[in-house]
Amino acid sequence: MRKMNAWLDHHLGYVLVIPALIFIILFSLWPVAQSTRFSFFDFQLNDQQKSGLYFTEQYNLKLMHETFDYIDYYLEIEKDTVKQSSTQERIQDTQQEILEIYESIQAMFPGQTGIVSINDQEHEFLVKASDQVLAGLEALYRIEDDFNLQEDIMMVASELETSIIQPNYVGLKNFQSVLRDPRVWQTIRVTLFFTSISVGMELVFGLILALIMNKAMIGRGLIRTFSLIPWAIPTSVAALMWAYLYNGSSGIVALILARVGIVEQATDLMLTSSSALWSIIFADVWKTTPYFALLLLAGLQVIPDSLYESAMLDGANKWKQFLHITLPLLKPSILVALLFRTLDAFRIFDLIWVLTGGGPGGTTESISIYGYKVMFAQTRFGYGAAIILVMALCVGVISYLYIKFLDIQLISD
Amino acid sequence: MINKKAERLFGAAIVLYLLIIIFPFIWVFLTSLKPESEIWGAGAFKILADQPTFEHYEALFRGNILNALKNSLIISTITTTYVTMVAAIAAYAIARLKFVGKRLILAIVLATSMFPQITVVGPIYQLFVKLNWTNSYFISLPYSMIALPVAIYILVIHFNKVPKEMEESAKIDGASKMKTFTDIILPLALPGIFTAAIITFISVWNEFLLALTLNPDSSYHTATVAITFLRGQFQIFWGQVTAATVVVTIPTLIIVILFQRQIISGLTSGAVKE
Amino acid sequence: MKRILSICLIMVLILSLIALAGCTPKAPAGEPAPAANEPVAKTKVKFAVQADSTKALESIVKAFNEKSELYEVEAIILTNDSGNMHDQIVNSLSSKSGEYDVISMDVVWAGEFAAAGYLEPLDTFIKDAGWKPTDFNAGSVSSGKYKGKHYALPYFSDLGFLYYRKDIVSEEDAKKLASGEYTYDDLFAMAEKYSGQGGTKYGYVYQSSQYEGLTCNVNEFTANWTDLENGLKMMKKFTDSKATPDNILVYTEGETHNAFLNGESVFARNWPYMNGMAASGDYTVKVDQIGYAALPNGGTVGGWILGVNVNAQNMEGAKEFLAFIAGPEGQTINATVGSYLPGFNALMNEPKVLQANALLTDEAFQKALQSTIARPVVANYSEVSDVIQLRAHEYLSGNGKLEDAVKNIGEKLQ
Repeated sequence: MRKMNAWLDHHLGYVLVIPALIFIILFSLWPVAQSTRFSFFDFQLNDQQKSGLYFTEQYNLKLMHETFDYIDYYLEIEKDTVKQSSTQERIQDTQQEILEIYESIQAMFPGQTGIVSINDQEHEFLVKASDQVLAGLEALYRIEDDFNLQEDIMMVASELETSIIQPNYVGLKNFQSVLRDPRVWQTIRVTLFFTSISVGMELVFGLILALIMNKAMIGRGLIRTFSLIPWAIPTSVAALMWAYLYNGSSGIVALILARVGIVEQATDLMLTSSSALWSIIFADVWKTTPYFALLLLAGLQVIPDSLYESAMLDGANKWKQFLHITLPLLKPSILVALLFRTLDAFRIFDLIWVLTGGGPGGTTESISIYGYKVMFAQTRFGYGAAIILVMALCVGVISYLYIKFLDIQLISD
Repeated sequence: MINKKAERLFGAAIVLYLLIIIFPFIWVFLTSLKPESEIWGAGAFKILADQPTFEHYEALFRGNILNALKNSLIISTITTTYVTMVAAIAAYAIARLKFVGKRLILAIVLATSMFPQITVVGPIYQLFVKLNWTNSYFISLPYSMIALPVAIYILVIHFNKVPKEMEESAKIDGASKMKTFTDIILPLALPGIFTAAIITFISVWNEFLLALTLNPDSSYHTATVAITFLRGQFQIFWGQVTAATVVVTIPTLIIVILFQRQIISGLTSGAVKE
Repeated sequence: MKRILSICLIMVLILSLIALAGCTPKAPAGEPAPAANEPVAKTKVKFAVQADSTKALESIVKAFNEKSELYEVEAIILTNDSGNMHDQIVNSLSSKSGEYDVISMDVVWAGEFAAAGYLEPLDTFIKDAGWKPTDFNAGSVSSGKYKGKHYALPYFSDLGFLYYRKDIVSEEDAKKLASGEYTYDDLFAMAEKYSGQGGTKYGYVYQSSQYEGLTCNVNEFTANWTDLENGLKMMKKFTDSKATPDNILVYTEGETHNAFLNGESVFARNWPYMNGMAASGDYTVKVDQIGYAALPNGGTVGGWILGVNVNAQNMEGAKEFLAFIAGPEGQTINATVGSYLPGFNALMNEPKVLQANALLTDEAFQKALQSTIARPVVANYSEVSDVIQLRAHEYLSGNGKLEDAVKNIGEKLQ
């Protein structure tokens, strides 16, 4: 017991960080690794042949069973409609022949279900079996008689080939397509434009606000509480609120903007690409400027008054005080806030999703939105993963630039 | 030094600022009291409804919103509870204990806080499908991705602020490190832990992307997702949408008013060097 | 130490509370407990369906629940935006979830869903019910047929056609419209001419928001994709004209029926459901003021079909409900209460159905029925339609060039 205590005491650091590490590995690092894996495959959920990650050939047993059942079922119907009894016998023979093939395939996969891996030899056998079935059916339909289902049966039988799944490993092909996809570049442009303008505006307004708040004598608590509200409400809720205020027929903000002449008509606001994008930017600035200001205010409050007093004695005016005392001392706060805001803005999803859905004409589509659509509307998880990784790379570069060139220290030792 | 004019300008700027912040809420609240006929057409721009009504709230409560609020509350509470506990012990280790690889771990924590959520959504969705975890409260687990790094970061800074002297005297008394942590550090760091909990709660309450993807069934929608589903493209019932906005904003408002100080201290830790 | 203990205690308490809350049944809160006098609890069948602006869906569900001794259908109303609804259903089905048993699908989804293996093949079911596929509306059935197997039965068939105000349009023009021998240029001229008459504000309303409805409208304007350039140009002409609303680019069916039925527009392109709404008498414009015509290049085939989730939790119940709703009973209700076009052919001669649906006896409408055109039939339909909507809307809203739109859409259609 004592020994264990001593051991625990010695290794306590590791013991205490392990739970956190497990979570981070499971829900941050593993998914990123998994995304990377997806991105090397033509992985698409609504395509039976691509709905897994296959390095080797596979066989879809469920589809195979269903296909044989169907062939038999349709042949049974044909038997009832054909005129000559000789044809009926031929159908019977074909059914028997196909049944034998079915049994031989079943014998290859005893007790297995779903999708199984196959080797070259098995592949060859299955292709041959599929050809035999098709040939048998074709021979049957060469007979002159009243058949009704030829087209359907042949199509159903073709599913035997579909049951053989080719490997969908594509190497770097997804990344090549991403780089050639004009919609990717368009969304990156939109995202960069949104990020730089909104973060820039938030910085300027946030700084001004922080300076004003710092000087405010009365109602500081009230101002702070008010400032927290836009930050604290869910983005999707804020977006819906703005969607109402911006809408062309009953939105007050759209009406005001039209009256002032910023847009020609209230209905234009969400319909022209530039004004829709600016509407998104404004909603974002509304939501995050107060937060930005609070961060800077905290930084302002720790600058000792004595510095300003001595500067005043030296005869420095307000502007000089701002340039030489406030800004340099506030720099760390500004940089940290800028870093977090830039990263946040770059991955923007909720606001655009709810406000415009990417419209009009895809002109407000951010890269997150496009990646989401590819993955969850088209279920192309492989290609979507490649898009997302390109985006993650951009995020990495941005953080690197900030940390390297702006010398941000996130934590002091 | 500051003259009257400048002071008035200051006051005006602040009032304008508060107005811009609060105006959308007030307008949305006023709209939620208008009957559908007044929301469209000329009535849309009147400040007060001619015939104020609670019909939108009634319609809303007949729908899914209460259930969605319950889901949000449960998911946020679960996440806050475990994230705060896990983060507290990890942050203590990082802030106070010496061990190899500490800096690497901190770097990983900070790096994961910068990942775009969308990078993890696909694989986590696949995983949840395989485990049959979609449409459940298991969504709390991947929320660690957004909440845990921030909570650790806030707490490391708070632990750093706790004076070392008491710890050292406990050491001299022969207390184990674990005992020092539970008996001395933790009580002193409680305000910091509380702050981390509040911030975690809010960020989980507000999350949209994972909630949209992992819980598509309306009976497991969280409030943030449920509210966007009030709006089909066939017809937009602004009355219900605005009423829902009001309902969903109220819990946030209460938290902000009650815990303003803690939230600000959480937000600004790290941005301020002391 | 005491404080920490108490904190731990509180946390344990919270956790156990949550665990308790988590154990409550999956159904949303506030659902009434089954009444005591009900002998056996019926098994639920979940029907994922878009909202119905008529009372038909409600009546069908009610009729089935009264009739069935074993099953109780619950209609899960999904969003009305068909794009969102598609994503929602794909998400659920691709996760192999059994949360929906019967699914209402837009005709253009069936190919994708069947290819993905989401749907239960229905051939034996159809046979066991004593039907043949030819008993149902051919267009709808064929859109639910993939690689020789039937995966869907019609819920209601649909087509786009022109509504006009008989009380405003001159007899001569009405004749021209009814004959079907007119062009979009003629329609444009008429829209400009009549706009503002009889208390209207607009000449023509149709669907031009960036969603699936836009694909249908582009299909019609471009004569089934044969003349992309002139079709899009014509749409732009309408968009920019004073004869259409300023916000025509956000118009979906909802805006369209609001404008037309409230007497704001002389012409409208819409689906048959709008006639049912007019017949209800709740709107300014009454059904006897309305005339019908085929669209110049034919109307898009639309409508909804019903399939069964391959992973349905309640397969038997799903099939029993499908037989009810797609069969004569459900289709009669749908046609009489909702004025939908029946998907079960035999009902087309049923006096009760003809009486409730004046459309079916209208000659001009019958012309429209015969001149329908289909949307692209491809496996990756949503991708194709996405590009069409995006590029068309981009051009129409003045954010893109005509040549780019024509080129991009043309390439995608190859």
